Amino acid sequence: MNTVNRFLTDSSKADPEKLALIDDDSKFTFSQLEEKVIKFSSFLNQFKEKSVISILFENTSEFVISYLGIINSGCVAHLIPTGISQSNLQNQISSAQPKLILSSNSYFNQIDDIELENLEKLKFSDVKEISSKNKTPSPTDYAYLIYTSGTTSTPKGVPITHSSCIFSTKNIAKTLHYSKNDVDLLPLQMSHSFGLGCLHTSLYVGSTLVLQKNSKPTDILESIKKHNITTLAAIPSTLSNITSNITDDSINPLSNLRLIITNSTFFPPETIKKLRSILKNGIVATYYGLTEASRSTFMIFNDEKKIESVGKPSDGVQIKIKNENNDGIGEILIRGPNIIDNYWKNEYSENKSDDWLRTGDLGKFDEDGFLYIMGRVDDLINISGEKVYPQEIERIVKVLSGIEEVVAIPMKHKSFGEVVKLFVKKTIDSEITSMDIITHCINNMERFKVPAKIEFVEDFPRTDYGKIKRFMLKE
Amino acid sequence: MNLDDDVKKIFFETFPLLTEPDFDWEKTQNNYDDWDSFAQLNLITLTEAKFEINFSDDEITLINSAKTLLEITKSKL
Repeated sequence: MNTVNRFLTDSSKADPEKLALIDDDSKFTFSQLEEKVIKFSSFLNQFKEKSVISILFENTSEFVISYLGIINSGCVAHLIPTGISQSNLQNQISSAQPKLILSSNSYFNQIDDIELENLEKLKFSDVKEISSKNKTPSPTDYAYLIYTSGTTSTPKGVPITHSSCIFSTKNIAKTLHYSKNDVDLLPLQMSHSFGLGCLHTSLYVGSTLVLQKNSKPTDILESIKKHNITTLAAIPSTLSNITSNITDDSINPLSNLRLIITNSTFFPPETIKKLRSILKNGIVATYYGLTEASRSTFMIFNDEKKIESVGKPSDGVQIKIKNENNDGIGEILIRGPNIIDNYWKNEYSENKSDDWLRTGDLGKFDEDGFLYIMGRVDDLINISGEKVYPQEIERIVKVLSGIEEVVAIPMKHKSFGEVVKLFVKKTIDSEITSMDIITHCINNMERFKVPAKIEFVEDFPRTDYGKIKRFMLKE
Repeated sequence: MNLDDDVKKIFFETFPLLTEPDFDWEKTQNNYDDWDSFAQLNLITLTEAKFEINFSDDEITLINSAKTLLEITKSKL
C-alpha cells in the first residue's frame, strides 16, 4: 500500500461484503463503495493527472465518493469546508486554480457565483461515467489540498502527499488500536484534517464508518445506540455538550465505547474526567497536530497529573523546543514523514528550516517527555519584560462558572508596555461580573498577569472552521 | 452597601492579606508592603469595573490611599 486510494481497494479485496459506510439510510459495502468510486473516477479521466478538483459537500457519502474518486484518478482533491464565506471561497479557488469544482445540490448556488477562467462547475448528481481508463498516482503526488483555518493569519494552502497521509493513518490505527471490528461515528467535517484522518483510518483498517451530519448531543447519543458504535471522534465542545446533557450515567450510551478521540484544541479537564468516569473500559484520547503536521503526538488520558498534556511524539516523529526560556517553554518544531514538503505554490518557505517545521506554537516537555501546549509565539504578552502565556490566563479564568469562552490578548500600556486584556463570552443566564473575574485572578495568579481590562462579548470573530480569530481581537 | 463600603471592599480584594485592624483610610501606598505598580493597576482595574468609570493618568497618579481612591471615585459618579 503506497497511495491513499489503496485503503479502499485493499479493504474491499479483504472483505468485499463488509459494511464500509453508513450515511442516513444509505449503506455501502466495501465492494459497492469501490464500484461507485471507480465510476466517479472514470469521469475525471478527462482531466490531466495532478489537476486540482475542488469539492464542497456536507458530511455525506457524496463527499467520500468524490474525494476517493479524485484521488483514484491521480488528481488532487481540494477540500472546501461547508460554512465557508464567499470571499474566502473565492480566495481559495483563486489560489488552488482547480479545473473543476463539484458540490452537492444544496451548495451549488454558492459555487455558481465563483469566478475563475476555464473553471467547470458541476453538481454531484450530474456526474456521468465516461471511460474506465485507470490512472495511478504515485506516493510522492499530492493527494489533497486543505487551506488552514486562518486562526492566526491569512489561510495557507497545505498540500498533503499520499506517503505522508499513509504514514499518519498507520500511526492513528496503531496507537489507538483501530480494527475492522470497529464501528466509527463521525460527527465531523471530512474537509478538515481531523475528520479526514478518521475517514482514512476506517478505510485503512476496514471498519464501518457512520457519518453524522450534525453534532447535536441527542443525535449523537441516538446514533451510538442505533449502530452499536465503538469509537467516537468529536471536538472538545461537542464532548462537553454531550456530558452536560447526560443526567443518568448508568444508562449512558457512551459507556460502551472503546475510544473517544478529540483534537488538540483546549480540552477541559472536567470533561476528560467525566468521560473517563462514564466509559466502562474505553479510553479518552487526544492528539496534537497541524494540517501541516498531522497527528504529531498522541495522548491517552490515564493519569490525572498529565491531564493538560497533548502526549508524546508519535512513532517516527521528532519534536523539539526552540529558544526555550527558563521554564523550558519555546517554539515547537516538528520533523518526520508527517510534515509537508512545502506549502501550496511554495509559499511560506520561512516556516521550514532543515526539515523542521516551525509550528508557531509554544510548548514545553515535562520530565517524562509529555508535551504541553502553552499558546502561540505571536500571542505572547510582554509585560515589562515578563512573558505571559495567554492560555495560562485563560485556563485560570475558565474554571469560573458562568464563562463559556475566554481569550486573553495583549493591550498596549503606557507604563508596562503591554498588559492583559480579557474578552469573555458568558454562558446563557450567567451573572458573572468583571469584579468576580478580577478578584479570582488576584487570588490565583501573579499580580502582573491580572487582566487590566475585561470586555464581555456576545461571540468572537471566527474562521470558517469555528476557531476564534485571535489576531482580529488585537488592537 | 454604600460607596465607602464598596471602595473598602475593593481594597480588601486587591490586598487579600490585609486585615480589618490594619485598614486605615489615611494609610498611604508607602505603608503597604505589597502596594507596587501592579497592585496599583489591579486596584484601578477593579474600581473601574465596579463603578463602570475610567480614571485618567493624572487621577491614577493621585491615588495613593483608600481615601484618595474614594474621593476621586466619588467625583466621577
